Amino acid sequence: MNWSFVIANAITLACIYGTLAIGISITWSSLGLINMAYGFIFALSGYGAWLAAQYISANGFVVMGAGILTGAIGGMLVCALAFIPIHDKPNFTVRGMIATLAVSLVGNQALLWYFGPRAKSLPPLFGSSQTSIFGVVMTADKIGAVVSSVVLLSAVLLWMRSSRRGLEIRAMMMNPHAAAIVGIGVRRTGFYVMALTGGLAGLASVLLSQTYYVGPFSGITPMVKGLSVALCGGLGSVFGAVIAAALLGINEAMTSVVFGGQYVLITQFALIILILLIRPRGIAGILDKAREA
Amino acid sequence: MTTTWKNPVSAFDPEKPVEEVVTNDYLSPQSQWDATRSYNVPTPPVGRLRYYHKWAGHGDKLWHRLRYWPTRRRVLDISGGYNSKTLRRQKTIEDKRPIWWILSLLALAIAPFFIPENQQNALLTAGAVFGIYAAINLCWMLIIGTAGIYSLATYAVVGAAAYGSAYLSIHMGLPWWAMPLVGSVIGLVFGVIIAIPATRLEGFYYALLTLGLVELCRVYVIQSREFGSATGGLYGADSYIPQDWPQHAQLLLGYYAGLVLMILGLFLFRFVNGKRLGRVLRMAPEKREAFAEATGVNYRAARIQVFLISSLALGFIGGFYSAHFRGAAPSLFSFDTMLLSLAMLVIGGLGRAEGAVLGTLIVVFIDRVLVDWGPMRFVLIGTLMLLVVLFLRGGLFGIKEQFRAWRDKKKSENRSSRAEKGGEMLPEEATETENKDIIYFRRFDKMQRDFLKKLITPEIIEEHRKRPLGQHSEALERVLTYFRRQPQNDKYAITVIEPFKSYRLVALSGTRGVAPRLVEDKIYGSPDEAYHALFLRRVQDLLEA
Repeated sequence: MNWSFVIANAITLACIYGTLAIGISITWSSLGLINMAYGFIFALSGYGAWLAAQYISANGFVVMGAGILTGAIGGMLVCALAFIPIHDKPNFTVRGMIATLAVSLVGNQALLWYFGPRAKSLPPLFGSSQTSIFGVVMTADKIGAVVSSVVLLSAVLLWMRSSRRGLEIRAMMMNPHAAAIVGIGVRRTGFYVMALTGGLAGLASVLLSQTYYVGPFSGITPMVKGLSVALCGGLGSVFGAVIAAALLGINEAMTSVVFGGQYVLITQFALIILILLIRPRGIAGILDKAREA
Repeated sequence: MTTTWKNPVSAFDPEKPVEEVVTNDYLSPQSQWDATRSYNVPTPPVGRLRYYHKWAGHGDKLWHRLRYWPTRRRVLDISGGYNSKTLRRQKTIEDKRPIWWILSLLALAIAPFFIPENQQNALLTAGAVFGIYAAINLCWMLIIGTAGIYSLATYAVVGAAAYGSAYLSIHMGLPWWAMPLVGSVIGLVFGVIIAIPATRLEGFYYALLTLGLVELCRVYVIQSREFGSATGGLYGADSYIPQDWPQHAQLLLGYYAGLVLMILGLFLFRFVNGKRLGRVLRMAPEKREAFAEATGVNYRAARIQVFLISSLALGFIGGFYSAHFRGAAPSLFSFDTMLLSLAMLVIGGLGRAEGAVLGTLIVVFIDRVLVDWGPMRFVLIGTLMLLVVLFLRGGLFGIKEQFRAWRDKKKSENRSSRAEKGGEMLPEEATETENKDIIYFRRFDKMQRDFLKKLITPEIIEEHRKRPLGQHSEALERVLTYFRRQPQNDKYAITVIEPFKSYRLVALSGTRGVAPRLVEDKIYGSPDEAYHALFLRRVQDLLEA
């Protein structure tokens, strides 16, 4: 078992799943929507990036930009279909979740119908060089994935801290009713949030496609992993998601070294269940009233 | 607009000049009637009519009710009574759902004999799948609807039981009749394991966790060699369908076995949801748990109980599944299976058995019969699900209720847009008042007041001021007659403080023994002044009402 390879892999995956988890977390805490269509947005932006690579240019920035842009558009689509019509209706949380599941069903099947079941692969974005950092051999795509996800996530978090729109989103996260009272448009902010989180999904999709392929159902497993990370960190907490991503990454690396690769999911869920039994609202979640949408 | 009125009584005293007073023109009371009748604002129908067919006769028969074991329920909820108008005896069937259930089950039972020859295979296979999925969905409905636990791990339990029993059947020669029993044990064990986090986690945390569990099962089964990672499933288990039968007979047996499984699922749903556990849990809906707990309802224990019972049943169905299909496939754990099943529940309506069955019928039909459509059939299912979630509150079976609520809303909007002031009864009040005279009296009274309001002019007030008592002009006389006719409570009166010197206005209490109350502080020096003040007060009340 190659330690350095496992650690590099774990860090990369942790960064990518952390990106997804933060998107899910922000959506839940600001809109009260569990976005089950995240897998669909993920697959859609993979196809967007693939189309861009096919027809525009295989340049890394173009492909990544196209992926992020498609993800943002997909997020806005989901918002228009599943958030805008029912966000003020009774029983929104359940209905919203089911609506996003329906969007995911329709979207995935439409992707299958349009692009066919064959998986597509994206061109390598970061070249194929290798460097050694502290004795750990990192390939360029892993370094690129880690660096770009960290940079873009920091940019997003910085934007949320310092800009007017970010202030609105944070206000919605704290208290949606009070935010609506002081004049923050719920629907408009919904579009910002969904575009932002969709963009994050697009980024994760492009980065993960360096290792895996783009397919109509390729988004399901990353979504489940992202959900578990978000859940484990505490829905609504960015900080918790980061800690949880790191924890699960370490767990994944340790398990594959100690027990073997096929036990990763088992130990992962055992860990998640353990964490949730100790802290039912996740690592950084406050055991208080849940967000009432 | 004014005319002079000559007092006809003046003729009895020819020495005095004829008394002449300026008063209103004659206004016919008919004018008010015509105005009311010609009132033609668009008036949409308002009222609360609910039609139940009334069956003739009741009596001794009503007391000999057929009740079915082990409950004390009647087959049909029939109430007897009398028609309030004709006093004829009548019966009403309060709840017709049993009739619909029996008819639909009969239709399902005889359906195989009416299928065209060339579609026998497809439809009978789909029918068996429908039975199995309907049973699974009924159990899941118990978990989501009755227990209120958002568990998405239903297929983890079913799949585990299916895989476990198939594995035992292949490697240890378990006969087909033991597979559902072994499956139930596996299901119960899995249920206990899955239920542990449910005691701590709430709502969506639990839903997401169970979603992860299903994914875990799927990945494990795909990777594990014993569970057929190479062959794409575990096949070769014993089956209740004898392989030496002709194919049509095999399909028929599978169809009826699926149907029997569904009926067992329905009975389970009935006995859990409709009896003690269901009642207890209906007391503790979401966000009102604290109240239920305060009243002594142990809803946590009830929820876990329902969860375990459903897990046991799901395990049974899992064993049946592997006995039906001679094995199990990893597609049981796939995200799409869960999604389709959720679509079945949502389309029919969460929380009701008929919703689960109808939703399953629709989705299985689209999924298994319209195979030629390819991926478009999933798009159709998803669109259906999306539309139902966006527009319906309780699925297809909630349409009636939602439509009634919407109609009531529209009615009350119409009512408020045409409601008039002045004491007329609102339509709903009117339909529920026993004494219909009151309605007509109030309507008449309102018309009369509207008419009298037109008669109040400065001329007749001046006439009254000059001579409060005695013969008056026609208009003033009508007004005064109306005032005198009013009921005793809160009627104005004059009290004498000192004869010929000071008078005050009071209002009668209307109750014997209760003194009148003072209306104002003013003291009048003569009876006529007091009479006129009292008149003005009544006029004011009339105009304000």
